[in-house]
Amino acid sequence: MKILVCVKQVPDSAETLSINDAPPRIIYGDASVFRMNRYDEFALEEALLTRERFPDCTVDAVSVGPQRVRSTIRKALEMGADQGIHILVESGEYVSPLARASLIAEYARSRSYDLVLAGIMAEDDMEFQVGQVLAELMGLPCATSVMLQEMDRMRGTVYVEREIEGGDRECLTIALPAVLTIQSGMNTPRYPSLSNVLRARRQDLVTIDPPQRWPGRETQLITALSYPDAGSPGNFLEGSTVDKARGLIRILHEHSLL
Amino acid sequence: MYTHVYIIALHAQGKIAPETYEAVSFARDLGAEKKTILVLGTLPQVEHMARELAERTGIAVTGAVAENLGHYSAEAYKSTIRTLIEGTSPFALCIPHTAAGYDFAPGLATALEVPCITAVEGLSEGSFIRSLFGGKIRAHVKPSTPSCVVTVLPGAWQAPAATQGSAPDVTIVPAEARQETTVPLGLKRAAARDIGFADAEVIVSVGRGIGSPQNLSLIRDLAALFPKSAIGATRAVCDLGWLGYRHQIGSTGTTVSPRAYIACGISGAIQHLSGMRNSQVIIAINTDPHAAIFRVASCCIVEDLTTFIPVVIDEYTKRS
Ligand SMILES: Cc1cc2nc3c(=O)[nH]c(=O)nc-3n(C[C@H](O)[C@H](O)[C@H](O)COP(=O)(O)OP(=O)(O)OC[C@H]3O[C@@H](n4cnc5c(N)ncnc54)[C@H](O)[C@@H]3O)c2cc1C
Ligand SMILES: Nc1ncnc2c1ncn2[C@@H]1O[C@H](COP(=O)(O)O)[C@@H](O)[C@H]1O
Repeated sequence: MKILVCVKQVPDSAETLSINDAPPRIIYGDASVFRMNRYDEFALEEALLTRERFPDCTVDAVSVGPQRVRSTIRKALEMGADQGIHILVESGEYVSPLARASLIAEYARSRSYDLVLAGIMAEDDMEFQVGQVLAELMGLPCATSVMLQEMDRMRGTVYVEREIEGGDRECLTIALPAVLTIQSGMNTPRYPSLSNVLRARRQDLVTIDPPQRWPGRETQLITALSYPDAGSPGNFLEGSTVDKARGLIRILHEHSLL
Repeated sequence: MYTHVYIIALHAQGKIAPETYEAVSFARDLGAEKKTILVLGTLPQVEHMARELAERTGIAVTGAVAENLGHYSAEAYKSTIRTLIEGTSPFALCIPHTAAGYDFAPGLATALEVPCITAVEGLSEGSFIRSLFGGKIRAHVKPSTPSCVVTVLPGAWQAPAATQGSAPDVTIVPAEARQETTVPLGLKRAAARDIGFADAEVIVSVGRGIGSPQNLSLIRDLAALFPKSAIGATRAVCDLGWLGYRHQIGSTGTTVSPRAYIACGISGAIQHLSGMRNSQVIIAINTDPHAAIFRVASCCIVEDLTTFIPVVIDEYTKRS
C-alpha cells in the first residue's frame, strides 16, 4: 500500500514579511524562518500511524516550491517518511492552487497511491483547495476536515469522520484510492527520531522539473496586495505596564465586572 | 454583458444555513442581472426551504430533489450542480465558505474548468479580496476566465433584510445525484462541552501565546478575580493538549457571548473570532500590535501576558 502526503513549507511568522507592489508579491525578509504547515504535520503523522498498522505500507512526502522547501521535505523524512519528492518551482510569483495541484497530480497519477493526504489549509495562503482540486484532477473521491480515518483494505474503503461547524462530525465511507484533507488535533505529530534524522541526512530527494507550460498557472492572478485597514475601533491602553494594568482594572470596574 | 450568478444554498437538518443569506448579499454586490438560488435535498424539506429562500430574498429558486441527497456528500453535490447549470454560462457560483462549502467548491470548479477563489471577504474593482497569513495581508484576486466559483467567508457580509412583495416562483426539479464512491452515514453530535460558559460573566481565554502549559496558572489566577468566570481556549491550545477541547471557542468549538471576553495571547484567526465576536466587551492582550484580535477588541493591550497578568493581579489585590 502506498500513501502520498502533500507538505507545504510556510514562513513561521508573518512578521518578517513585506509587500512588493509591482508586481504584487510577498517579500520574505532575511530573518524569515520556514517550517512545515501545521496541518500537514497532522497529515504526515496520520500516514505514519497507518504504516504502523499495515507493515507493507510506504509513505512518500511531496512538496512544490523553490529550493528552500527541501528542508521541509527533509523534515518529513526525519519524522519517518520513506521518500521525499521535490517538484521544483523557482518562481517567486503566486502559484495558483490549480497549478500546484496539477503538478502534484502529474507526478502522482502513474504511481498508484492508495491514499493521498493533505492539510485542510495552508497557514500562509489559507486557500482550502489543493487536496480537493488534486482529487478532481485524478478522478478520486475526497473528504476534507478529516478527524478520524479507518481503512478497510478488504473492502477497499476508508471510513471517515469530518468535522463541521460546532465540532459535530459527518460520517462517511469512501472508496479507495481517495484524497483526505486533515484537520488539526487528529493525532499528536511525533518528533523526529535520531535514527530517522541520520537516515534523512544521507538520503537523496527525488527532484522533478515541471514541464515548460503548466496547466492552470494563469487562471487566477493576484492583482494587488495590501495591509488591512490600520484603524482599529478599539482603544490602545498607553503608558507603562503598571499604567496599563490600572487602566484595565478601571475598565473592568466601569463595567461592574470586578 | 449579460451576467448570471448562482448561489448554492446550504442547509442542515432541514434548516437553511445562515451563511447562505450572507452569500446572497455577496451575490447582490456583484451586481449581476440575473440571480438564481439552488437548493439540493429531498422532499418535503427542499420545497419548504425553496419557499423560505424565495420569500426572504425575492430571488428565483430551483430546488433539486434526489433520494440520495438526504445527506450532504461532495460527490452528489458536484454532479447535481453541474447538471443544473449546464448550458448556462454563469459569471459566478457563490457558495458559503462552510465545512460543506469548501468541501465541494474547489472540485466543482476544477470539473467546470474555472478557477475557485476561496474565503472571499471583500470586493474591489473587479477583484475579490481575501486574507493571507491569518489576516495580516490582503490579496486582491482576479479570475482570468469569464466564470469562477467563489466561496464567501462567513461573517463578511450581512444577511439581507427580508424583501417585501410577492415571492418569485420556485421550481422543483428531479435530479440525478451521482453517488458511486461515497456512502454518507449521518451526523455524530459533538460531546456535551458545558464548562459553565453560559453562566460566566467573564471568559478569560488563552491562546498559543501562553508559551507553555506551566503559565496556565496565570490564566486561572486572572479568572479567579471575577465572581462568575470560565476559561476558554483556542483550538491551537487544545491541539497541544494544554487544555481539553471542552474549552475550545470558535467555529468548530463553542460560541459564546459573555459580558467580557479577555483574549490572552490569541492572534484572532477568523475561526476563533466567529465564536466570540458577539461578546459585549472584548479585551485583548498580545505582544504583536498588528494582531488581528485588536480589530475586534474595544480594549487593546500590547504587552507580554506572562509579565502583564501578574501586575494586574498585584495591582488589584493592592487596591482591595
Ligand atoms: C476549519 C477550521 C476550523 C477551526 N476552528 C477553530 C476554532 O473553533 N477555534 C479556534 O480557536 N481556532 C480554530 N481554528 C484554528 C485557527 O485557524 C487558528 O489556527 C487558531 O485559532 C490560532 O490559535 P492561537 O491564536 O492560539 O495561536 P496563534 O495564531 O499562533 O497566535 C498566538 C498569538 O500569541 C501572541 N503572543 C505570543 N507570545 C505572547 C506573549 N508572551 N504575550 C502575549 N501574546 C503573545 C502572538 O503575537 C500571536 O498573536 C480552525 C481552523 C480551521 C482550518
Ligand atoms: N506547494 C505545495 N506543495 C505541497 N503541498 C501543498 C502545496 N500547497 C498546498 N499543499 C497541500 O494542500 C493543503 C491545502 O493547501 P491550500 O489549498 O493552499 O490551503 C496543504 O495543507 C498541503 O497539504
